[in-house]
Amino acid sequence: MISEEKVFELLKRVIDPEIGLDIVSLGLVYKVEVNEESINVTMTLTTPGCPMHSSITEWVNNILLQAEPDKNVNVNLVWEPRWTPELMTDDAKEKLGM
Amino acid sequence: MQSNSITTTYAPPFKIVAKYFIAAIIDFVILNFLLMLNYKDITGFYFQPKILAITHLLTLGWISMTIFGAMFQLVPVVLETKLFSEKLADIQFWIFLLGMIGFVTGFWNSDTGLHLNASAVLLNIAVLIFAVNMVGTFIHVKKWNITGWYLISALIYLIITAIAGFLLAYNLWHPYISINHLQYLKLHAEVAVIGWVTMVVMGVSYKLIPMFTLSHGYSMKSSKWAFWLVNIGLVGINIFFHFENNIIEILGSTLFIAAGIAFFLFQVYLIYKNRLRKKRDIGIKYSIFSFYMLGIVTLFGLIFSFIDLSGIPNIYLVFGYLVLYGYLSMLIVGQMYKIVPFLAWYHKYSSKVGLEPVPMLKDMFNEKYALVSYYLMTTAIIATTASFIFNSRIALLFSFGLMFFGSLIFTFNILTILRK
Repeated sequence: MISEEKVFELLKRVIDPEIGLDIVSLGLVYKVEVNEESINVTMTLTTPGCPMHSSITEWVNNILLQAEPDKNVNVNLVWEPRWTPELMTDDAKEKLGM
Repeated sequence: MQSNSITTTYAPPFKIVAKYFIAAIIDFVILNFLLMLNYKDITGFYFQPKILAITHLLTLGWISMTIFGAMFQLVPVVLETKLFSEKLADIQFWIFLLGMIGFVTGFWNSDTGLHLNASAVLLNIAVLIFAVNMVGTFIHVKKWNITGWYLISALIYLIITAIAGFLLAYNLWHPYISINHLQYLKLHAEVAVIGWVTMVVMGVSYKLIPMFTLSHGYSMKSSKWAFWLVNIGLVGINIFFHFENNIIEILGSTLFIAAGIAFFLFQVYLIYKNRLRKKRDIGIKYSIFSFYMLGIVTLFGLIFSFIDLSGIPNIYLVFGYLVLYGYLSMLIVGQMYKIVPFLAWYHKYSSKVGLEPVPMLKDMFNEKYALVSYYLMTTAIIATTASFIFNSRIALLFSFGLMFFGSLIFTFNILTILRK
C-alpha cells in the first residue's frame, strides 16, 4: 500500500505555475490519509476564487489516480483553518524573497 | 468526489477570450501606427475628425475589447458561476467590431451622417448583447463580493456611455441638444473612463493583485469607500452635467471621484505592501507605472477643475493622452502579460501537470523583450507629454514612433505566448 509520505512526495509534483512552488512547500496540504480503498487529501488554497489555484485540486486528483489507479481519490478542499504564510517551508519563504 | 476545478467548470473556452484579446492587440498596433503617420494632425483642440477617430479606435477597439474579453474570463471565476452564453459573446464580437470600424471611419472621413449613426446603433446593439449576457450571468450568482458590485456599476455606466455616445452622434447629424455639445461630450467621456473602465479596473484589481503578488492579511475597508465615493461622484456627473457652473461640478462630482480614487490607490498600496512575492515581474512593473499615472491624472483633473490651464499648449491632449495611455494602456499591457500566459498555459498544459514536465508561466515568453517594450513605452509616454507641452512636431513623431515599436514587441511576445 502506498505510504502517506509517498503521497506527500507525489504531491510535490503539483507546482503552482504562477508562483513556481509546489503545494507541499506552500503548506497547502493539511492531511493525507491512506486506507485500503482510498486516498484522502485535505488541503486548502491561498485565496478563494483564484482560477489557477482552483485547478490545483484537479491536478492532485490526477497525479494520485495515476499512481494508484485502483484507489478512490478524495480531495477535500477546506477553508478552515485558513492558510497563512507561516505554513510555508523555510525554503519556500526564501524563494519568495520573504 | 467534489470537483473543485472552477476554471474548467465556469470559464468559457480559451477561443472567445483569445479572439477579443487578439483583436484588441491588433487594434493597438494599428492605432499607434496611425498616430505616427498623422502626427501633424494631433495638435490643438481635441474636437477634430482624426483625433476623435483615433480616440475611439483606442477606447472601443483596444480598451473595451480587452475588458469584454477579460470579463468573459474573470466574471465566472470571480463570482463562481457560468457565463450565460458563449454564443452571445461571439455575436457581440462581430457586431462590435463592425460598429467600431464604421464609427472610426465615420469620424475619420467627417461623415457624421448615416454612416456614423448606423455604426453607433451597431455599437449600442453590441453593448446591449453584452448587458444581456452579463445580467444573465449575474442572476445566477449565489455569493456576491465587492468585485461583483463594481462590475454591476461598470455595466450600468457602459450602457449610459453607449446611449450618450449615440445621442451625441445623432446631434452631429441633426442638431437637437439644447446644451453645448462639448458639455454633453464631457459627460460621455467621464462616464466612459471613470464609470465603465475604472470601475472594472478597481473591482478586478482587488482580485488580481493579491493573486499575482500572493498578498495576505490586509483590510479591505478602503475598497468600500472607493466604491461609494466614485459612484456618488458619477451620479453627480449624470445629474449636474447640463450646468456649466464650475462649482456645482466640483462639489457635486469631481471631489467625490478624486477622493474615491485616492481610497482605491490606498487599497492597492495596502495589498501591495502585504505581498509575499517580493520580486516585481513585468506585469507588476507596468501596473505600478499605471497606478502612479492614475494618481497623477486624478490630481491633474482636480487642478483642472479649479484653475484654467487652457493657456498651456495642447493641454487637453496631454490630459487625454495620460489617461488613455499612461494609466489605461499601460495597465492593459501589464495585465495581458499576466493573463495571456495563464490562458495559453491553462489551455495547453493544465491536463499535463504532475504527469509530465510543464513550463512555468514566466517561461511562456521572453521577459527581456518585455522589459525592452516596457522602457520604450514608458519613455514614449513621457516624451509624448513633453512634445505636446513644448509643441514640438518632430519630437512628437519620434515619441509616437517609440510607442509603435514598443507595441510591436508587445504583440510579438503575446503571439509567441499564444502559439506556445
